[in-house]
Amino acid sequence: MSSMAYTPAPTGTGLKATVQKFGSFLASMVMPNIGAFIAWGLITALFIPTGWIPSNSLGQLVTPMITYLLPMLIGYTGGRIVHGQRGAVIGAIATMGVVVGASVPMFLGAMIVGPLAAWVLKQFDKLTADRLRAGFEMLVDNFSLGIIGGAFAVLGKWAIGPAVNHVTNWAGTGVNWVLNHHLLPFVSILIEPAKVLFLNNAINHGVLDPLAVAQSAAHHKSILFMLESNPGPGLGILCAYLLFGPRSLRPTVPGAIVIEFLGGIHEIYFPYILMKPRLILAAIAGGFAGVSVFSITGAGLVASPSPGSIFAYLTETPRGSYFGVLAGVVVAAAVSFVVASVLLGFGRGEKAEEVEESDDVDDAGDGAAVPAQSSPEGATA
Amino acid sequence: MTGIPVSDIKKIIVACDAGMGSSVMLAGTLKRQLKNTGVIVEHAQVSAIPADADLILTQQSLAERARAAAPGKPVVTFQIFLGDPAVNKVVKAVKEGGTIDV
Repeated sequence: MSSMAYTPAPTGTGLKATVQKFGSFLASMVMPNIGAFIAWGLITALFIPTGWIPSNSLGQLVTPMITYLLPMLIGYTGGRIVHGQRGAVIGAIATMGVVVGASVPMFLGAMIVGPLAAWVLKQFDKLTADRLRAGFEMLVDNFSLGIIGGAFAVLGKWAIGPAVNHVTNWAGTGVNWVLNHHLLPFVSILIEPAKVLFLNNAINHGVLDPLAVAQSAAHHKSILFMLESNPGPGLGILCAYLLFGPRSLRPTVPGAIVIEFLGGIHEIYFPYILMKPRLILAAIAGGFAGVSVFSITGAGLVASPSPGSIFAYLTETPRGSYFGVLAGVVVAAAVSFVVASVLLGFGRGEKAEEVEESDDVDDAGDGAAVPAQSSPEGATA
Repeated sequence: MTGIPVSDIKKIIVACDAGMGSSVMLAGTLKRQLKNTGVIVEHAQVSAIPADADLILTQQSLAERARAAAPGKPVVTFQIFLGDPAVNKVVKAVKEGGTIDV
């Protein structure tokens, strides 16, 4: 074998990897900034007129933070991913162009112009890299960033901003249509399977956060923050695993429950589903039930609960939503627990099943017993 | 199966999708377990694996991306985040010497 023996050449055509990668790119613009979302969410929950301690003066923080600070952080981060510190700066300048005068929080716009402006600057930097006379680097660097950045701000204000404004409004209309027709629980049919394929961040922070923040800016809460992040379904499945799962795996489950439900690291339960793929039905049922309860009770959170821990939920629940939020989590856990327990046959005939199951597991390698496999073949098969 | 000698491993990178959640958790556990071995354990986003990584640990579903992001680097995949035999094997090998199968 060659020196590359342990790493089969990356094909780059794997659909799952490609989707994961793009989604991850979107999410990675948002995720480092979630602390800022939480700061904004808490300030909103506390100081708006219907909040815990209403304050006119502190309430003035709410609108500028959502309008300017959060989109610019996203544009800045998006630019940084593409082209380091220079990319970050031009990303922030470009974002200013789409933000000023917009009627909606420009998260989508920031996610487009931030990386785009940084990419253009990167191309310019490549072009000029070896052609500059010594001593002129700083002059060219600063003015190229200033001129291209300024141009993007103007372009953003004239063209990109208004276009994205329309798209955001359409998306908002679409979301409202889904909400008004009580179809939101059906979204779980898509979200739960995608989630366990490690698209959780892509969905929650790449797609749902921007929509949710627009709602939260208008109504001071959004149900969309809770579609992917509900810790209930994972809790129910892990509890079913603890009682009825393969015996060899049961000792690992209590630790996983603490990490999932209290710590909010949902990734910890994905493998347990991947090893018994039919359990995805339990996740879907739990998610569906949870969203139904959130929807009926009109519950919402003020900001993105990340990580999806019960503590993040309780901290970001606005005044008056506690019943709905808690009920949705509890119902989701109960439903997924019952469905998962049934799917695991209440632990009966577990041995016979393990053998039969291992054949149709696509992603998880070995079926039920703790996987001893660490070879590269498993994941790319 | 190719084995790499443990003596070649100076830095282990635990990678996850965002590089903020599960990888931080697992890297923390490994750091404690490998405290006195001199091997550095860090966490990273699977799309941005540091060039000086000698061994990459990641969940199976992310293995394809890890290999694309760090071509030529040995990748050990695991399934569960707690007590996975593949991870335990790496810890044992680093502590006791020998080779790691990848």
